[in-house]
Amino acid sequence: MKKTKTKAPKQKMSGKKLAATIYRYRGFYLMFLPVFVFAIVFSYLPMFGIRYAFTNYNGIKDPTFVGLKNFQKMFGMANFWSAFTNTIVISITKLILTTLFAVVVSLFLNELVNIHFKKVVQTILYLPHFMSWVVTASIFSLILAPTSHGLVNTFLVNIGVLQPDKMIYFLGSEKWWRFSYYLINIWKETGWQTVIFMATLAGINTELYEAAAIDGAGRWGKMRYITFPALGNTILTVFILNLAKVMNLFESAFVLQNDAVLGTANVLETYIYYQTFNSGAIPNYGYTTAIGLFKSLVGCVLVLTCNQWSKKVRDGRGIV
Amino acid sequence: MKKKLVSLFLATAMVAAMAGCGSDNNTPASTPASSDTTSNSQAESSEETPAAPEVEKPESITVMIDGTVPTKENYGDEFWNKYTELTGIKVNVIQPDHDAYYDVVGQTIAGGDWPDVIILSSTYYAGYAAEGVLWDMTDAYASSDLKARHDAKAGSTGVVDSLRIDGKLFGMPATHGNGCVTYVKQTWLDNVGITSVPTNYEEYVAMLDAFTTGDPDGDGVNGNTFAVSAAGFAGKEAPYTNYLPEFYQDAYPSFIQDENGVWYDGFNTDSMKAAMQRLADAYAAGYIDPTTLTNGTSDCRNKFYSDEFGIFTYWAGTWANNLKTNLEANGLSGDLVALPPIAEVGAYVDRITPAWCITSSCENPEGVFKYFIEAMQDGGDVQFLFTYGVEGCHWSTAAETLWADDPDKAKTYGEGEFHFLPNAEKPTTAYTKAHIDPMLALVDLEAPANSVTETAKNAQELFNANCKSAFIVPTTETMSEFNGDLTTLKNELIAKVTMGELSVEEAYAKYEADGGKAWSDAIVESLNQ
Amino acid sequence: MKAKKKSNWSVFRVVNGLIFIILALIIIIPMWKILVDSFDLKTAYGMKLWPEKFGLDGYKSVFSNPTLYRPLMISFFTTITGTILALVISTMGAYVLIQWNMPGRTFFANFLLFTMIFNGGMIPTYLVLRSLHLTNTLWVVILFPALNVYNLVLLRNFFEGIPASLFESATLDGCSPMQTFIRIVLPMSKAALASIGLFYAVAYWNDYTHYKLYITNSELYNFQMKLRSVIMGSDMPQTAGDATENTVKNAAIIVVILPFMILYPFLQKYFVKGVNVGAVKE
Repeated sequence: MKKTKTKAPKQKMSGKKLAATIYRYRGFYLMFLPVFVFAIVFSYLPMFGIRYAFTNYNGIKDPTFVGLKNFQKMFGMANFWSAFTNTIVISITKLILTTLFAVVVSLFLNELVNIHFKKVVQTILYLPHFMSWVVTASIFSLILAPTSHGLVNTFLVNIGVLQPDKMIYFLGSEKWWRFSYYLINIWKETGWQTVIFMATLAGINTELYEAAAIDGAGRWGKMRYITFPALGNTILTVFILNLAKVMNLFESAFVLQNDAVLGTANVLETYIYYQTFNSGAIPNYGYTTAIGLFKSLVGCVLVLTCNQWSKKVRDGRGIV
Repeated sequence: MKKKLVSLFLATAMVAAMAGCGSDNNTPASTPASSDTTSNSQAESSEETPAAPEVEKPESITVMIDGTVPTKENYGDEFWNKYTELTGIKVNVIQPDHDAYYDVVGQTIAGGDWPDVIILSSTYYAGYAAEGVLWDMTDAYASSDLKARHDAKAGSTGVVDSLRIDGKLFGMPATHGNGCVTYVKQTWLDNVGITSVPTNYEEYVAMLDAFTTGDPDGDGVNGNTFAVSAAGFAGKEAPYTNYLPEFYQDAYPSFIQDENGVWYDGFNTDSMKAAMQRLADAYAAGYIDPTTLTNGTSDCRNKFYSDEFGIFTYWAGTWANNLKTNLEANGLSGDLVALPPIAEVGAYVDRITPAWCITSSCENPEGVFKYFIEAMQDGGDVQFLFTYGVEGCHWSTAAETLWADDPDKAKTYGEGEFHFLPNAEKPTTAYTKAHIDPMLALVDLEAPANSVTETAKNAQELFNANCKSAFIVPTTETMSEFNGDLTTLKNELIAKVTMGELSVEEAYAKYEADGGKAWSDAIVESLNQ
Repeated sequence: MKAKKKSNWSVFRVVNGLIFIILALIIIIPMWKILVDSFDLKTAYGMKLWPEKFGLDGYKSVFSNPTLYRPLMISFFTTITGTILALVISTMGAYVLIQWNMPGRTFFANFLLFTMIFNGGMIPTYLVLRSLHLTNTLWVVILFPALNVYNLVLLRNFFEGIPASLFESATLDGCSPMQTFIRIVLPMSKAALASIGLFYAVAYWNDYTHYKLYITNSELYNFQMKLRSVIMGSDMPQTAGDATENTVKNAAIIVVILPFMILYPFLQKYFVKGVNVGAVKE
């Protein structure tokens, strides 16, 4: 609707009329100025560094142009593509799972009536976010341990699912690692993600609910016809924004990995880390920039694709 | 759509424009050219006065250091003021956070404002030396008094030589690198009736068995303990075998030189296969902690403190005392036996020590070498400062009682009795050194009485008497290309064989099939060129 | 019929409450270990329900550390100024992005989106900050994180939900863009401001990457940097003698979380249905 309304007159706009429109919006341009300056200074100025991707540069001698050699080196690494697919699969699955859990939890949290209970629950849910990954990893390697210390294994043995001598090494076996990884991520990030969904729910105009009640909608009806569509917008936005960061997955995977599971657990960033760490050479910033550029391009493709798709769903509007 | 394309194009064009102007303004200063000129002029001046070149004392020095030198919170200012007082040289300190030290070093080097002196770990030392960032101190060292002092103390010259690259020296160690020794709980030995510590692998395995199947912790239950634990089956960095030396013995899973100086890959040898078999057997028998794979080092320590296992290979020296203190805090006996290396191990490994380097942009490298690097190990006041710190900040000889409010902890010292003071950041513990660990020094220094605990000293002496130096593995183009994948593969195979998922034969078949052998051969070839 | 619905509803309420009790327990269990260990003078590897040898030494060690006061003040200062600054520029930027008819809007949107995806890398960023003389000052940790496009887009998403009729009437009343922004947009977005403000505040409070990369003067370090070294210190066995006791480490982890435990309940009144509408009717 909005799209047709706005686009039609603009395309016919003459120069003079455009100038007039711009003048009319002068206040807005002024308001955008700080954002513009910050983006230029802190994001665009450093982007001169992107050209290092095509050079050899170790921070000592001047960069020397090497064309696409850094990219060739990257794509030529023996396990590059397995690390790449691992990243995509692990990162996107994690994103879908944590978002899904956060949405469901928010919806039910919103229905809690006792305000004190709600406050306590909400605070507890979001606290794990503030624990560093290193600490999280050490706690979960204890909880998931295949010994009598491991709560999960002990529980499974007690309810008779497992034999005591057949405990599962959740973080030490390739079969179980990803499952455990997702579980830990859900534990850590669900509560934090609910913050944004709870804010969306709070922002819904209460008059809509009143109108729906007059139309005879019950609790479920209201949830289905008002709450969920309102949330949909936020879910889509959050999801697409997070897609841009999919390739950056590092710390959470790094601290939970070990020698035996790298086949399924090694993501691009950790793979590069081990490469550099074991190379015995000082870092070549040209090479790391090339990897960064590649990750950005993948993120760009993901975001643009999904944004395009979201425009279809959402009346022609993308996320920005 | 068109409009979007246009705007995207505009955005991109802007980026390009930014990139253009950015690069003009921000091209990092090219390699300081001063290094060449200074060394030239120095060469000339030394020709003029061939007898004893007068070394000029620098007025001020800029040093870049990590957290192993007293930080501001730990009386860093007082520390450097004392240095100025002793030498008359002002010091500008750049001391980034310990965690991010090498990131900041990289940035600083790229930024062009190089410090005069920089402390570097072995990996970065080799890399920066190869790129010409570091001043070649070979000659300065050869004619220095420092060399004489190192020669006078057994084992010191070897540590210096471990930093030589093709005979050249670009940095100076201040201490031994230190390494790990195996500690055994005395009470566990007593409880299972072992009276003499093992001297060979057979006796070692007997001890493992007694610790696993018997009741070494004395809780009345047999078989609820395991003998040994570590953080992972293979270490993350060289020397990879240092946390489980009794199983690896003479095997080494990475590149190493034979007696003729020819490089080979220790992973491809039969001794490595035998080592993996030993690990697998011990793991299957339950001697090794079943969660070794996922342990962090602090997990291991906590398990050791809560009496879950009895044999722990960990750092020598100060750590011996730390382990003891923590065991005692848990109500256990802190009596630990530092095990002399069993016959098959032969010697523990001394890690490569960090190096104090002078950058090639330093205007007066000879002066900095003489008045800073050499002074630090002068066997006198400056070395005392770098070892024990500043009186009244790090140590004291005043009569006083520390931690008076805690009867368990309180320690009373008489007048004139040397003692370390509580750590400013962790008031419940005391300092043990400033920068140079007194037990690891390369130059003899008259030590104040009681500066080192007996436990730490004994463990350190045992280590020093039974260690061999690690060595720098040069890096090659092929190495940086393949060694990441290769190391990952090797570690995976070691872990899987140990945990019984693969047999040794299967592991080596996979090693061939996944390209490990080919990478290894290529790296060996490049090293031997 | 109606009665049945009502009883269904109360059954749901009870079940819902029970589910959240279980969920909260699951979330708490792993953190319980840290809490117990922080009060326990006996180091143990496994899980315990209660401390074996209760003592406050861990917390005493953290709080009696005189080198922590200054970092704490720095944390408060940077978090407050940074959050305000970040909210000001982000809300204004987000507001401009919902001016659908403004010439150049799409360009601005892509201009911002681009910065979220592409970056120049570590060294170039350092060189720019250095040439602006921002390194080794608190400016770098306040200004650098102040524009977060992710948060800005979320704000835009919230502003989009404000009924267009309100803007129209404001314009008819002769309000300038800034006046509309202050009178309509901000009061209508309490939940949004609370949540995004929380995001920024948490980012500022927890920040250590900018400190460790751009500040070498430890007098300018914040609380998080300090506690991090207490927590991480024990994982660097080579720096012998720096053995952080387990109790102290766990106490430090709890202290890191503490401010958020206190802060969140205060913010929660902004996460209640209808919080925005009420504001405009005033």
